[in-house]
Amino acid sequence: MFENTLDCYAHSNHLKSTNTYFKVLFAILTMLVSLISTSPVVPLIIAFFMSFLIIFKAKISWKFYLKFFLFPFSFGLLTFVFMAIFFGVGTHVLELGIFNLAVTADGFNLGFLVFARMLGGFTCLAFLALTTPMTELFSVLKLVKIPKIVLELAMLMYRYIFVFLDEAINMYHAQETRLGYSSLKKSLKSMGMLGSNLFIRTWLKGEQAYIAMESRCYDGSMRTMREPESIKSMGTHNLALLILFEVSLITGVYITANFKIF
Amino acid sequence: MHIMEGFLPWQWCVFWYALALPVIAYGVIRIKKVADKHPESKPVLAVVGAFMFVLSSLKLPSVTGSCSHPTGNGLGAVIFGPVVVSVLCVIVLVFQALLLGHGGLTTLGANTFSMGIIGPLAAWLVYKGWQKAGWSILPGIFLAAFFADLLTYATTAIQLSLAFPIPTFDSAILKFMTIYAYTQLPLAVAEGILTVVIFDYIMKLRPDVLETLKVIKPKNEMKTMKEPVKEAI
Repeated sequence: MFENTLDCYAHSNHLKSTNTYFKVLFAILTMLVSLISTSPVVPLIIAFFMSFLIIFKAKISWKFYLKFFLFPFSFGLLTFVFMAIFFGVGTHVLELGIFNLAVTADGFNLGFLVFARMLGGFTCLAFLALTTPMTELFSVLKLVKIPKIVLELAMLMYRYIFVFLDEAINMYHAQETRLGYSSLKKSLKSMGMLGSNLFIRTWLKGEQAYIAMESRCYDGSMRTMREPESIKSMGTHNLALLILFEVSLITGVYITANFKIF
Repeated sequence: MHIMEGFLPWQWCVFWYALALPVIAYGVIRIKKVADKHPESKPVLAVVGAFMFVLSSLKLPSVTGSCSHPTGNGLGAVIFGPVVVSVLCVIVLVFQALLLGHGGLTTLGANTFSMGIIGPLAAWLVYKGWQKAGWSILPGIFLAAFFADLLTYATTAIQLSLAFPIPTFDSAILKFMTIYAYTQLPLAVAEGILTVVIFDYIMKLRPDVLETLKVIKPKNEMKTMKEPVKEAI
């Protein structure tokens, strides 16, 4: 019902103490390379490399990662099949024999490219989500000049998401033990009750939070402790490694630009 | 309905970012103004954002057997107006990407445009129109949530067919729309019903919250009761 959030992994993985800027730059740049690639080769390499880092360097349990990875993988596969059959005008490479459908060469190539790019992009996102706690990402967002009000809203929201998830799970279990989800009509009613109760509670919590903040001298701005690390503490060694990695990936994109299976 | 990370070609990622940014910037300015004037609104806005996140992690019961998540943007837009919701939606989308792995960072612009701008705007227009006409509230809420969902899906279909116009834009949009009509239409109906049930309960339990937000008109007897209280304070 309620997905396990990635938050606990972000706080307990083995790459947590690595410099935040290094991880963010690495994930975002690699994601962009995967995005601009015109051949499926480089995104697939990225997907394997990132998965390797997640499982063997960050030491995320492979069972969890596999389960987490299954959804985008199956969705990507579905897109791939859909595009291979419906998105081609070129030569037929495989007749399916039903409804006059056929796999076309250009449809297959496009589908495979999108599939590869999705895996590449998703593994980069997963790397970022699984190794970097949200609280440290906030300090990066501050650096790129996200408006203060948005950041404050995001921080407050981040804190309350877990409070409300807890409450929602409690309410859901209470309803479920009373057969609240035994039929479609009942589940809609139960879910509506859950949602409205949650809304009212969130409203009360918001008011209480304001009172609590005001009694602690809230003047419209929240000041947080600065992270001790900076972009400079990343180290020249890591920076050189990062640049070398991205440049070699871009070279790979350039070399394999015309790679096609059919 | 999120567009997955890496699904769109980079030109379209940039395009949708460019289209969504001005609206979000306007929303941020509006929120800043409200927050400066009423500092108590900041924590309330934050908890509502958290509420939208939690609501979107519920699984919607649907007739086709397929499960999906309510977006909550219809409800939010009716209560808070489309501009505020669009900003909250961006933050929620970032959290969904980083905490659940739904959606993505490169497709954030496109997702924001469909879920945070078009959907809430549709809901808000439908609800305001309905309210102006003076019809009863609940069917208006249903239609607002229904159209918010529907237009979100339609926008996503347009975004996808613009990105992959093969062989032509028309035939691509027909294909995406056919898929969506089968899978998403029941979801839009389910979310509409769910929103009505939620709204109905809020009206029964805490109508004062909705009245302070000017979503529903205060009842006459309530008004006469409140006025002396206000003066007493």
